Amino acid sequence: MFKLGRMSRRLSLQFAFLYSLLSALVFVGAYWFTNYEVRDWLHDQMDSDRGNLSEVLREEGVDALALSIDVLTRVNFENARIFQLADADGRVLAGNIRRVTGRIENGYFPVENLEIDGEHGDEISGYWITSGPIGPYVLLQGTGNHVIAEVLEALAISLVSGFILIMVLGSFVGVWVGRLTGSRIEVISGTMEVFSRGELTARIPNGDEGGDDLSVVATRINRMLGRLENLIESQVQITNDIAHDLRTPLQRLRQRLERMATRDRVDPNDAHVALEQAEDIINTFNALLRIAQIEAGDRRERFRATDLNDLAVNVFDAFEPSAEQNGQQLRVTTFGQPVTMLADPDLLMQLISNLTENALRHTPKDTVIEIAVSRIDGAPVLTVSDNGPGLRPEDREKVFRRFYRGEKSRTTGGNGLGLSLCKAIAELHHATIHLSDRDPGLRVEINFAKASPPV
Amino acid sequence: MRVLIVEDDQETADYICTGLAELGHVFEHAADGKTGFLSALDSEFDVMIIDRMLPGLNGLSLVKSIRGEGVGTPVLFLSAMDGINDRVDGLEAGADDYLVKPFAFSELSARLTALARRPPMQTEETRLQLADLEVDLIRHLVTRAGGAIQVQPREFRLLVYLMRNADRVVTRTMLLEGVWDFHFDPRTNVVESHISRLRNKVDKPFDRPLIHTVRGAGYSMHV
Repeated sequence: MFKLGRMSRRLSLQFAFLYSLLSALVFVGAYWFTNYEVRDWLHDQMDSDRGNLSEVLREEGVDALALSIDVLTRVNFENARIFQLADADGRVLAGNIRRVTGRIENGYFPVENLEIDGEHGDEISGYWITSGPIGPYVLLQGTGNHVIAEVLEALAISLVSGFILIMVLGSFVGVWVGRLTGSRIEVISGTMEVFSRGELTARIPNGDEGGDDLSVVATRINRMLGRLENLIESQVQITNDIAHDLRTPLQRLRQRLERMATRDRVDPNDAHVALEQAEDIINTFNALLRIAQIEAGDRRERFRATDLNDLAVNVFDAFEPSAEQNGQQLRVTTFGQPVTMLADPDLLMQLISNLTENALRHTPKDTVIEIAVSRIDGAPVLTVSDNGPGLRPEDREKVFRRFYRGEKSRTTGGNGLGLSLCKAIAELHHATIHLSDRDPGLRVEINFAKASPPV
Repeated sequence: MRVLIVEDDQETADYICTGLAELGHVFEHAADGKTGFLSALDSEFDVMIIDRMLPGLNGLSLVKSIRGEGVGTPVLFLSAMDGINDRVDGLEAGADDYLVKPFAFSELSARLTALARRPPMQTEETRLQLADLEVDLIRHLVTRAGGAIQVQPREFRLLVYLMRNADRVVTRTMLLEGVWDFHFDPRTNVVESHISRLRNKVDKPFDRPLIHTVRGAGYSMHV
């Protein structure tokens, strides 16, 4: 929380700096532009005055011109406009400019070099002057630069006050938003704290509402926590499973080795049985790890275009002689066209084999077992069905549990992991696995998602 | 044959070395990836056993580095408990075969032999022969003592696998992988039932059996 405070303070400072920089830029830009525009406007005004005065001279003569200029100087607010009409010999005929020091050039002229009737305006530090002929005479015009100064002053005041206003308001809003965000972040970090202490069901409240960034983050975190919970539970489950189901075979192996150790000579048969027991334990262990890894879902990158028909035929080929030896009949029905989808062929093969082996192992002689591939509404379907004794309805969900074995199959071998592995593989492929009564017999149906496009 | 073993676990290494010595093989042991890399470049081996988890340089990188140096010696990759992507990762890195710990020594030795004597990329073989048994790889024909034998496609594949490895031991797992692409262990007697069918066709009508069971290890075809 403290760190976060520092972070937001740093952010506000950065923001303030950036804003100041931008304000300065705007100020310079506005200053330059305003200055340029106002000057332009002043020159236009003076040009227009000169035009009007030329007309007066042409129509009414020099006396009228001198009179007009005097009128102009008199109705002059703050002496901001100055004039001087002189004849060719430099004699002053009219205007309020008394004396000019220095060379007259169009442009800026400092106030010290001009002496006028009355006082210079308070704000005036110089004049923009133009000088030019008007008939045979010379007219010198000037306008005080205070207009520009006033405009710029107004500009500066509004920019600075705007700056202050935004800074103050921004800080308030920042603090408010920060508090608000802070408390939400506190909720999030608190939830994670609780989770990390071992309460795996902890979730961020209202995490899934609203559409702002923090809600999105909260939703993602909730999803991640859900996933973590699953993973951790699956790990816990595995640990329990191992304790539950590996202890007995390990105990048996231990007893055998103990007995062998007390004898003078090792009976090779004993050693062979011990080896087989070790092998079984290893297989169970591998199967458990495999399930865990598949459930963790890190295998999808291996998916490639796979034809379900090929896999079914391969499994049929592999088990057909065994079925014949058992006096059972194994059949395969493929779909007329390739049933291609993105899948992990190794795992799907194992899925089909496991289902087929289950059928082979748990049905009596003369049972017909069929592996079939089809498409229903374009979605791939794989079924393994038999006409054997079937499964009691209450057992149909339980068979997917690790180490679950039906009462009858306790003696028929297997580690009770086959169907949990099938389920994990099906889920990895976004497929559902469904057991149903075939009356008589059992039908296992795997429905793949339609989305897998034919490749 | 000369074998390089790169394995950091002393007990496993001893187990492998003792087994190889009993079979009369010559071996060199390296306990970490870097030493293994130097040994692999230093001398000629027929086959190398490389563990996946090694200190210094892990097995995958080691195989890649060795292949990068142009050493083509067959590599058998060893890994602890079935990491589900390990097999593909290992093969992609340049290993030739893959074995999961814990394993039976007979499995290791059968795979090493198969790897070490793997014929160099030769011109397309067209036929295989063992005694009076002949297999025409192009026309998919099997004859023994001049008479044609009808075999199913899968039996043909099995027979070809066995004959290519004639005089060597082939394990159940090697057959499951090589013939059926099964990278898991079915609990049903898949291999046994197929061998039995094949024997009925190839061996039974004749005096001298060619397919032999090697107890506790697998099968072997020889005269």
